[in-house]
Amino acid sequence: MPKWFSPAVLVCGVMFAISPLVIAQAPYESTMGLVQKVFYYHMPSAWVFLTASVVCGIASARFLATGNPRHDRTALAAAEMAVLFGLVTLVTGPLWARKAWGTWWVWDARITSSLVGWMIAWAYLILRQYGGPGSEKLAAGLALFGMANVPFIYVSVNYWRTIHPATTVVPKLPFSMGFPLLFCLAAFYFLMFLLMKLRVRVAEQQARLDAIYLSLDEQA
Amino acid sequence: MLRVVAVTLLAVSGFGQSVADQAVTLSAQGQPKQQEQFTPIDQLPPQEQLPAAPLLVAAYVFVLLTLFGYMFIMSRRMTVIQREVDRLDSDMKRSGRG
Repeated sequence: MPKWFSPAVLVCGVMFAISPLVIAQAPYESTMGLVQKVFYYHMPSAWVFLTASVVCGIASARFLATGNPRHDRTALAAAEMAVLFGLVTLVTGPLWARKAWGTWWVWDARITSSLVGWMIAWAYLILRQYGGPGSEKLAAGLALFGMANVPFIYVSVNYWRTIHPATTVVPKLPFSMGFPLLFCLAAFYFLMFLLMKLRVRVAEQQARLDAIYLSLDEQA
Repeated sequence: MLRVVAVTLLAVSGFGQSVADQAVTLSAQGQPKQQEQFTPIDQLPPQEQLPAAPLLVAAYVFVLLTLFGYMFIMSRRMTVIQREVDRLDSDMKRSGRG
């Protein structure tokens, strides 16, 4: 790994360690009270989930166009990020909703489309794991559908009836709530970047290992 | 004359009524509602009984455990692959194929 990686991990760790203190400074929301503070981890993880789905889609499109395995490794890493942060989003959301809405889950457009997006990312990884030779191209095609789902997830709260907060909430946040959110967003995006870097490195090492085995087979 | 008095009385009573209504509204807006009885928490609807803190703590603990778990898995994967690459490299060098 590059020299800057370990200090970067340390900085990211510190950001996550102090994030509860930053969030504690934010005022309580008037109707939801304490439980609304789930928002400061829920929304950044949701944004990282959507970003990872888009990165996976773009890298997959570039892989399909050029055949360069570097793009394939980026897509694979991004798909894992989408699964990881999608899981965080889909678990923290119901924990918040249970108190705020009185129910764990509603089958509205936002939550259902998020679940579909998360399952597409899972399907990508399952296809890569068990699909056999050539599965990386099939998975790349699937990733394009995952990316196409992202704008639908984002705007769904503005066009369909739902109790999920609208997209207008974030731009209208006062500084006292906006700063903790931006801080957590920075921490989550930084973590995503570092984890992707690590995952791409693992995929590169795996490719190197496969190449060594292949050369051994050819020489045998 | 009687009509004038009647209209004046109606107007005054109507004004008085509207002032009284406004006063009630303002008083309801300006002050918290007076509590007329104490209700035990177990008689509230389930949604209002639910404490927020355990849900909040569960959410934060879940996030941190999930992220640490993934980082642990990644570091193990990396170690295993690196060890295998090193072993194969040294085997190939030893057998003169590297």
